[in-house]
Amino acid sequence: MSKVWAICKREFLVTVTRKGYLFTLFGLPLIMIGGLFAASLLSRETLRDSQANQGPAGVVDRARVLDYSLQAATRPIRSTNPLPVSGVGDQSELVAYDDLDKALADLRKGDLGSVFLLEADYLQSGDIVVYSAEKGIFSQLTRTGRRQLSALLRASLTSGRLEKEVVARILTPGRFKQMQVSKQGRIQPEGNLLKRVGRFLGPFIMFFLLTISIFMSSGYLLQGIAEEKQNRVIEILLSSVTPTQLLMGKMMGLGAAGLLQVAFYVVLLVLPASLLLTLMTLSPGQILLSLMYVVLGYLLFAGLMAGTGLLGNTSQESQQLSVIWTMTSMIPMFLAASLMQQPHSWLARSFSFFPLTAPVTMLLRLSTGEVPAVDVLVSTAVLILGIVLAVKGAARLFRTASLMHGKRPRLREVYRWLKEA
Amino acid sequence: MVAPNAIISVQEVSKNFSSVVAVDRASFEIGSGEIFGLLGPNGAGKTTLIRLILDLIRPDAGSIRIQGQPISETHKNRIGYLPEERGLYFRQKVMAVLEYLGMLKGVSIERVRSNARDWLKRLEIDDLRNRPVQELSKGNQQKVQFIATVVSDPDILILDEPFTGLDPINVHLLVRSIQELAAKGKTVVLSVHQMSLVESLCRRVFMINRGRQVLYGDLEDIQNRYSEPSFLVRSGADFQGCELIDRFTSHNAAATVYLKQGVEPARFLRWLVESGAEVESFQRARTPLDEIFIRVVRDSS
Repeated sequence: MSKVWAICKREFLVTVTRKGYLFTLFGLPLIMIGGLFAASLLSRETLRDSQANQGPAGVVDRARVLDYSLQAATRPIRSTNPLPVSGVGDQSELVAYDDLDKALADLRKGDLGSVFLLEADYLQSGDIVVYSAEKGIFSQLTRTGRRQLSALLRASLTSGRLEKEVVARILTPGRFKQMQVSKQGRIQPEGNLLKRVGRFLGPFIMFFLLTISIFMSSGYLLQGIAEEKQNRVIEILLSSVTPTQLLMGKMMGLGAAGLLQVAFYVVLLVLPASLLLTLMTLSPGQILLSLMYVVLGYLLFAGLMAGTGLLGNTSQESQQLSVIWTMTSMIPMFLAASLMQQPHSWLARSFSFFPLTAPVTMLLRLSTGEVPAVDVLVSTAVLILGIVLAVKGAARLFRTASLMHGKRPRLREVYRWLKEA
Repeated sequence: MVAPNAIISVQEVSKNFSSVVAVDRASFEIGSGEIFGLLGPNGAGKTTLIRLILDLIRPDAGSIRIQGQPISETHKNRIGYLPEERGLYFRQKVMAVLEYLGMLKGVSIERVRSNARDWLKRLEIDDLRNRPVQELSKGNQQKVQFIATVVSDPDILILDEPFTGLDPINVHLLVRSIQELAAKGKTVVLSVHQMSLVESLCRRVFMINRGRQVLYGDLEDIQNRYSEPSFLVRSGADFQGCELIDRFTSHNAAATVYLKQGVEPARFLRWLVESGAEVESFQRARTPLDEIFIRVVRDSS
């Protein structure tokens, strides 16, 4: 046991002082938070700037259907939502023109964002020609004044023909008030946008960081073993310890480094976020299960990476080989949107029951809500089976592949080593 | 051939890698406290034999015993191994590497530190203990590798090409260290290509070629076996007219003299004295080991 402890201690200390580890520990969360913040600011500012640059919309009404006095009444009613998505709403002012040429000249000068032309036969055809200036990509995405004009058209066409309340409902059919019903039957308002975004983003960030922890820790194991094989230390190590002792020590040391990373994220990022911003809506049970899948996922990939680290001649070669494991396990990540929308679909359940995709899928499903107990049991069982096979296989490869240098082994050779050792 | 107090016993051991026979029914014994030479050309199977003794790989047939028992973790703790290719953590400091590798032999950190300091001083690299291994010269890295092998004070040392990268002064330093260790009762298995070092260090040798045993036994016996009845004579005598000798070759102030069949060396010595020439030295000439090595490898290939 003292040998396993010595290996574990060394692996832990060497790993936590690596530049890559420290960057992942401190740099990655900062980059993620900073990136999200910057992206949100940037998109808000870009849209705001884009709209500000558009200016009012000119209208040439040859059909004589518009009543501009109703323009104030057609401003959108503020939502009950205290935090509307600012910058997205179209608040453009409509300016009446008699002459299309004059309006187009103002558009060219930049005084107008767009010009609408309602021909004399508008009531029969419904056609409206929209003129806009060439102003980069956002000028094509935003439709300045279109909503305002539509509202003014509805108001003008119905004014005096229908009751005031009916006109109001045509202009604003409803004010939506979102309520949420829990499984226990508790009904409560859905909350503001920050909460709604946080409900998705908090667990997703946690899922992302936990997934990163699994692959970083097992990646270090792969790198460490491949380096020890490359610099021939492994031969000396195996003259002192058994392959199982070496593997156990390494897995424990690097697992501890991974757990330290998780603990850091939870204590310094997730907990304050959930307390201060109510970002975290996961139950303690979900968090505990998530941590269990992190440990199981780490053990599975540690076994696979240890074996793969022994097959290459250099750490780069081993890393290339390991792509097969990381790519397979990342498939649920690519389908995250679909899996989060339907966390209990047959696809989500299938991924949960396949050892390579189970950790990421279960972390993803747990971040969206409760997962049926049977799914947890089956996925845990297949993961444990996968871990046993991966660790046993890696220990067998230590005896043979660790001393082989030169040509990269073929699959048939690897199979023979696994059988012979 | 049984070694007195055999500590390592290899009996009829074979190992194949796919269709390649790496070791074919090798048998030898190594006595406690001896320096045993493991010889053979490149690719002969020496490293495979060493790995089999260390239980890094398992034999297909035969048995290997350490102190009469199959190798166990206790035995592993008592064996120090220096592999042919340097195996060190190059980015770590010398002392940290020695501490780690010493502790993996089940020795306390305090004892490892104390041993490491002693050996660093003895091999004259004490000032390098806090330097990363990669900053050291090849020769000094090799010294660190040697210290990593002895830092746990093992009873058996398996040294595969320990003199690689060392200059003559450091070779001498290491030879002296190996002799001191053997004098303290440590068993040393030495695999080297410098036959002069084998001659000066080893009493018994095992030679392998293409996986098969080609020589095994007492080095003096082997050299005698491969030597003709000849003598190295340093004197002013003229051998031209001597009826006792078959032929002779002169080199510098000495001559190698080959006696005729059935002539006793004492009779020749008497002739030498009676010839009136001044005799500085008279000794039996043995075929150098490197000559035997080449002859055996050529014949067995």
